[in-house]
Amino acid sequence: MNAKPRILPEGGRLQYLQKLVSEFQETTSQEAKEQVLANLANFAYDPNNYQYLRDLQVLDLFLDVLSEDSDTLVEFAIGGLCNLCLDKVNKEYILQMGGIKPIINCLSSPNEETVMSAVTTLMYLSTPQSIEELTALPVVECMLRFSLSANKRLSNLATIFLEDYCSPSQVEKAQNLSAHSAVGIPLPKD
Amino acid sequence: MADSGGEVGGYHPHHAQRAVCDSRAKYREGRRPRAVKVYTVNLESRYLLIQGVPAVGVMKELIEQFALFGAIEQYNALDEYPAEEFTEVYLIKFQKLQSARIAKRKLDERSFFGGLLHVCYAPEFETVQETREKLQERRRYIARTTGIKEDKVQPMTKKKLYKEHTVSKDLRNDFHSKASEFCATPSNARTEYPWNYQTNSWNSAPCHVSSKSVTSQSGEFLEVTLISPQHDGNFKKTMSSCNQNNSLIQKIEMEIPKTSVDCLGPPKVISSNTGIARFMPRTTQLQERKRRREEDRKLETFLETNPSNKEIIIGPQLPEIPKVDLEDESLNMSANLIRNKLKEVISPQLKPSEDKLEDTHISQPLKQRRRI
Repeated sequence: MNAKPRILPEGGRLQYLQKLVSEFQETTSQEAKEQVLANLANFAYDPNNYQYLRDLQVLDLFLDVLSEDSDTLVEFAIGGLCNLCLDKVNKEYILQMGGIKPIINCLSSPNEETVMSAVTTLMYLSTPQSIEELTALPVVECMLRFSLSANKRLSNLATIFLEDYCSPSQVEKAQNLSAHSAVGIPLPKD
Repeated sequence: MADSGGEVGGYHPHHAQRAVCDSRAKYREGRRPRAVKVYTVNLESRYLLIQGVPAVGVMKELIEQFALFGAIEQYNALDEYPAEEFTEVYLIKFQKLQSARIAKRKLDERSFFGGLLHVCYAPEFETVQETREKLQERRRYIARTTGIKEDKVQPMTKKKLYKEHTVSKDLRNDFHSKASEFCATPSNARTEYPWNYQTNSWNSAPCHVSSKSVTSQSGEFLEVTLISPQHDGNFKKTMSSCNQNNSLIQKIEMEIPKTSVDCLGPPKVISSNTGIARFMPRTTQLQERKRRREEDRKLETFLETNPSNKEIIIGPQLPEIPKVDLEDESLNMSANLIRNKLKEVISPQLKPSEDKLEDTHISQPLKQRRRI
């Protein structure tokens, strides 16, 4: 995972990623789109690729796909964002492009991987400027319910979100709110 | 979803092996066929779930296989996990995420005792704290590796500096992970073949002991084996003298009188039996000594009654066989006399002069030199 000598020359990697982006834009096959997007999202795990992905505007591509109907495409796109959002430049870009809103929307996805990627992405996007938007009341309320989920992975993430990113008063406020109204964002289905 | 992600230890959809994608465009085909899946920090874990382990009691072997990739913190069988017939499911927790990554990559889809392993991450076994640490680790890793990229606009020198900095860090990381692997390997090997190691040590131990005793006891044992049993009657005496005079200096001093003592001693034919120094248990030694003493006594009487055997064989002397205590008062006395006389007369020569021999053999029966 760490910087190992790459077999691919520098240009080779960029060219390859360029090919992937082109195919994603040109293909009409849903299957090919999913494969290519998964490919790109996995490339986004490795910090060595960040510059190429920025050059190819893959961050915009991921953010765009969040509004797609396809569950799988959204899962892969938020996975890609989760993978690259820790980098300072990428983080600032996502925040600047108004990425928080579509990511928060992912919390209501029926796909658990999408939800978990979204929770982690929100935590990773926290900055002194963004924290307020990230910990808006509906989000905290959502996390409260996730923290009670039987899914250990999700409840762990939500617990960390509440403990590390929210103030006790915010949590209390959300608790009061959810006590009054049972209506909220539905838990994701399988 | 809440149902599917039920209790910890139960089945999770992310454990399922997805169908391999066979419709990839040519340029996107990897070396190994893979399913379409995106990995994030949420999916990876120090916990690995291993399915498809044949239920033939091979847990030890399985753990050994995985321990090759890093230290394992804990492991256990998941009895309640829905498994295929005749297979078992195991959970392994590595100390480091990197070890789990490599182990998964290397051992997923590997055949193992006739079964095909399916290895997947099992993050649902993490505690809140473990998940938190995992997320922080990823945060640190990105901060470390992307230090350069944020300073792309900086002047060249600084960039270079940053680059070097991060590269060295990366290398260190790499090395660290490798080192931990290596560390894990030998310790594993030790546990893997404890009997081999032990037998080795047992094999070598006697050799060691024997050689030690040979050297430390100043040639006693060498004598045991070098001198043929029938003719080393004075072995015992030699030994006792050795014991009396432990220091090296004393021994060196004794080298001079030794020649005379040789001459003074009862006539003996000490053949040069080139034995091999080998270890003998103590009881055997004692018996052997006793036997030799008896034989020696016989020989003595035989030699005494056989005066024709007076031929003197002169050859290079065997070093360091001091013979002082002859276990006979009169013999000792005369030996001392001669010793003192020789001290006055002789300079340390290897070859004793004929005169001396003649001198001595007037009073004492001639003792033959050993021939080598």
